[in-house]
Amino acid sequence: MMSTYYAGLLADVGILLLGALSVYVILATGQLSLGNAGFMGIGAYLTSYLTVTAGIPLTAALMMAAAASGLIGVVIGFPALRLKGIYLAMATLGFGEMVRSFFLNFEAMGGSGGFDGMRHVSLAYIWSWAAAILLLVAILERSQLWLEMRAVSDDETAAGLVGLNTTTIKVGAFGFAAAVAAVAGGLFAHHHVYIEPGNFSFERSIDFVLAVILGGSTVGAGALVGALLLVMLPEYLRFLAEWRFAVFGALLIAMLLVRRQGLLDRSLLGMFGSRRPA
Amino acid sequence: MKSNLIKAACIAGLSTALTATAGPSFAQQAGREIVLGAIVPSSGPFAEWGRANTVTLQMLERQINGSGGVNGAKLRIEILDDATKPAQATNNLRKLAGDDKVLAVAGPLTSSAAEVTFPVANEMKTVATSQASSKPGVAKLNRPWAFRNTIDEGVLGRTTVPYYKKTFNIKTVAIIYDAKDATAATVGSRIMPALMKENEIDVLNANDPLSFNTGDLDVSAQVTKMKALNPDGIVVSADYSQAVTVIREMKRQGILKPVVGSTQLISSAILKAAPEIPIIAPATFYATMKGDKPEKFVSELQPLLRKTSGLPAEIEPSMYDANIYEIVSIYIDAIKSAGVSGKAEDLEADRTKIRDYMAKLVGFPGLGGPIGFNDDGDAIKAFYILHGENGSWQSKVRGCSTAPGHPGC
Amino acid sequence: MFLQQFVNGVTLGAVYTLIALSFSLVMGILGVLNLAIAELFMIGGYFGFAVILAKLPLPVALLAGMAGAALVAAAIEKIGYQPLRNAPPVTPMLSTLGFSIILQNVATNLWGSDPLQLSEEVLSARFTFGPVSISAMQLVVLGATLVLVILLAFVVQRTSMGRALRAIAENRDVARLLGVSAGPVTLLAFMLSGALAGAAGVLISLHYAAITPYIGVEIGLKAIAVMVVGGTTRIWGALIAGPLIGIAEVMTTAYGGSQIRDFVVYGLMIAILLLRPQGLLGGPRSEQGPRV
Repeated sequence: MMSTYYAGLLADVGILLLGALSVYVILATGQLSLGNAGFMGIGAYLTSYLTVTAGIPLTAALMMAAAASGLIGVVIGFPALRLKGIYLAMATLGFGEMVRSFFLNFEAMGGSGGFDGMRHVSLAYIWSWAAAILLLVAILERSQLWLEMRAVSDDETAAGLVGLNTTTIKVGAFGFAAAVAAVAGGLFAHHHVYIEPGNFSFERSIDFVLAVILGGSTVGAGALVGALLLVMLPEYLRFLAEWRFAVFGALLIAMLLVRRQGLLDRSLLGMFGSRRPA
Repeated sequence: MKSNLIKAACIAGLSTALTATAGPSFAQQAGREIVLGAIVPSSGPFAEWGRANTVTLQMLERQINGSGGVNGAKLRIEILDDATKPAQATNNLRKLAGDDKVLAVAGPLTSSAAEVTFPVANEMKTVATSQASSKPGVAKLNRPWAFRNTIDEGVLGRTTVPYYKKTFNIKTVAIIYDAKDATAATVGSRIMPALMKENEIDVLNANDPLSFNTGDLDVSAQVTKMKALNPDGIVVSADYSQAVTVIREMKRQGILKPVVGSTQLISSAILKAAPEIPIIAPATFYATMKGDKPEKFVSELQPLLRKTSGLPAEIEPSMYDANIYEIVSIYIDAIKSAGVSGKAEDLEADRTKIRDYMAKLVGFPGLGGPIGFNDDGDAIKAFYILHGENGSWQSKVRGCSTAPGHPGC
Repeated sequence: MFLQQFVNGVTLGAVYTLIALSFSLVMGILGVLNLAIAELFMIGGYFGFAVILAKLPLPVALLAGMAGAALVAAAIEKIGYQPLRNAPPVTPMLSTLGFSIILQNVATNLWGSDPLQLSEEVLSARFTFGPVSISAMQLVVLGATLVLVILLAFVVQRTSMGRALRAIAENRDVARLLGVSAGPVTLLAFMLSGALAGAAGVLISLHYAAITPYIGVEIGLKAIAVMVVGGTTRIWGALIAGPLIGIAEVMTTAYGGSQIRDFVVYGLMIAILLLRPQGLLGGPRSEQGPRV
């Protein structure tokens, strides 16, 4: 019987895992998104509206919110095609801030006062979604589509010359990621049963990126390791009292210096079994 | 291949198991120790409040244990830092109530944290009392286990604004608020305009709300607009660290009009921003309060605060220190008078006894006067309208947050 | 009131310009987004404050801020950038994030989280030109920004140090083949960037006469927007983009309402990015920044 403290932490891990996966999928096509908290926010508010005001059951609400957010992700994905590297990252950052600013002014759902009324969901429910999407990404990683995505990431011009539809791949990645982040948001809303615009800030977007980079940026399961690290580590560093965050920052730097691909990578994963020839 | 996925799952499971079992556990010696919990922000933008709260609670713990403990048992206050992140506050409550099996929890401090932590308090059937949350309705939404040793800003405003109007002959105001701070935004966009209307004061920028965001350095545009309106007074609804920015800009641009606001303004920092601008705000406690209890409290706490590394040398006990001191004192009183045994097997019953004691509390001797709780879970206690000018706060009016069906102060 | 708001906007813009330049020095030359610059700004501000509180004159405060921030920047370069210089840029970016977390924590522990204030403003004399009122400190901020930008442009365009910087920015490997040693040049870039951020920190915190460990956060984000709008590799771009964004922000607040301010600023940034992805004064379209 797990203590509710660890249950609460694991719920946070599951939600962060989904957010990290949303960054991971986009990163796989060579794009860095610093604004996925915006999609999380859209998902959170939309799902909450559907369950609280429209009385729709949670699972259906999550799927609807994911679909809507995915659509927005696709819409964002098109102009994103024109931008590369840091410029794209900045644009996504701007997008995230605009979404947060929007909800801050959106009085219909509380504005800065926040929105509540959601019903609490169990840890098991959160992890059914988290595990399902992790599985989905794992399957995706073994598919032909993934190879195409990696090709686009490695050399977009060449990929286009070889006949890959780089537009569909890149925009599709944004759409899928937006849907996943929206699910993260919906689950967040129903775990904490209160949301406010401040929950979906740049800091949240950076947390997603941190989880991917620290946990392992080359495999999907890395997002899981990263999420565990980011949630559990501050708890274990409590004994450091007022130097807790400084040590966390130092550990972050140390990790990047020592193992820049993140904790988990293909070879570590492969150590546990026979590797499929690459 | 599938096997890689299974390997990944094994790694994940192993990490979880390791992290789940490696954490420290706290054993409560049944009957010989009384454990209470506290959630304070010791890191992040409100680190000073959390650290001052910690010193206050440690002082209380020493005082209680020094005079025989609680019914002979030793008192231990388990203090956890929520780093000003609401998610951490909820996990802190789960840890305190679930793992450490505390009898009651003081905290969390901010309304944002309280909004998500109070539902957990209800889930875990443990009393949680906030020492600073004043956003309207937060405890009300989370009865019966949520309480707040603070007064709803709407109630306080009803005494503050008439005093302000009378003292400075105010007929018109402009309102500026921190749009990113839920309490400040609610006070600035809903409560204050309504109060102004009630008192027949014209809000000159009613159709054009003036706001800024927490963390903004520059409010010159907003203040220039206020100057153009030429009001008799300015309503600044923001936490004092942000209000300082506004007031300094007011001084820079030559608007030396009196300021009124909520409890969020109360601090010593704000008196330094522009000493010639009068500031009117309500408080349930201030460091220069007269009276046996508050003076004793300040004389004991102030030297401890000033000695603590990381706290400024001229720090004074704040309203939040007084509030959390009162909260834990009430818990101790509940334990003593309501037949709380402190034994592990009675945990649920003990917590319920504390909850019921608090719901019925009347006339508890707090630092500023008697304390009780109303049906919404907010405090019925005395408050004071303070007038800050030239570097010090003076108390001008004493009020009471009476509620129908409950005795007054 | 319009003129006064214009002046407000230009002052705010000067702040953004300095920090944007700080970002673009490292971004343009090394392709790295140094997320610690906001905290270098903050630390510089605290050093400046400490000097002023010790009753020493303003130029000393400015030097202290610049020197202090430059030293911290050097530490960041040695520990957080050098070992990671061959990794994809997101890695050193996150490493600088680690430093920013550490710096915020240190500042909170050293100086407290409450705002530190000056009891008397520095150079608070105000000058009134018709409907516009401007303080002496504000003029110093504007003047110092201009001077620092010109100095920077001089260093980059006319000195051999600057030539080395531009060579590395152009093509690191070829530069090294031609004898430009990357190590010292990178360190120089970081330290210059730190000094600029520190200067901005001193000027700004003295102008507003209050400082907290978190003043860098919001300003940092906006400054990145300014850098992007101006074009990350062009110094003059930041000089135009800074006041542009500052004025846009102030005018939105003044005439549109403060609620939509962030919306407009970031919307403007995105619009400019879409219309001209390399920034206002950026080079040809191919110069769009490395793959992250």
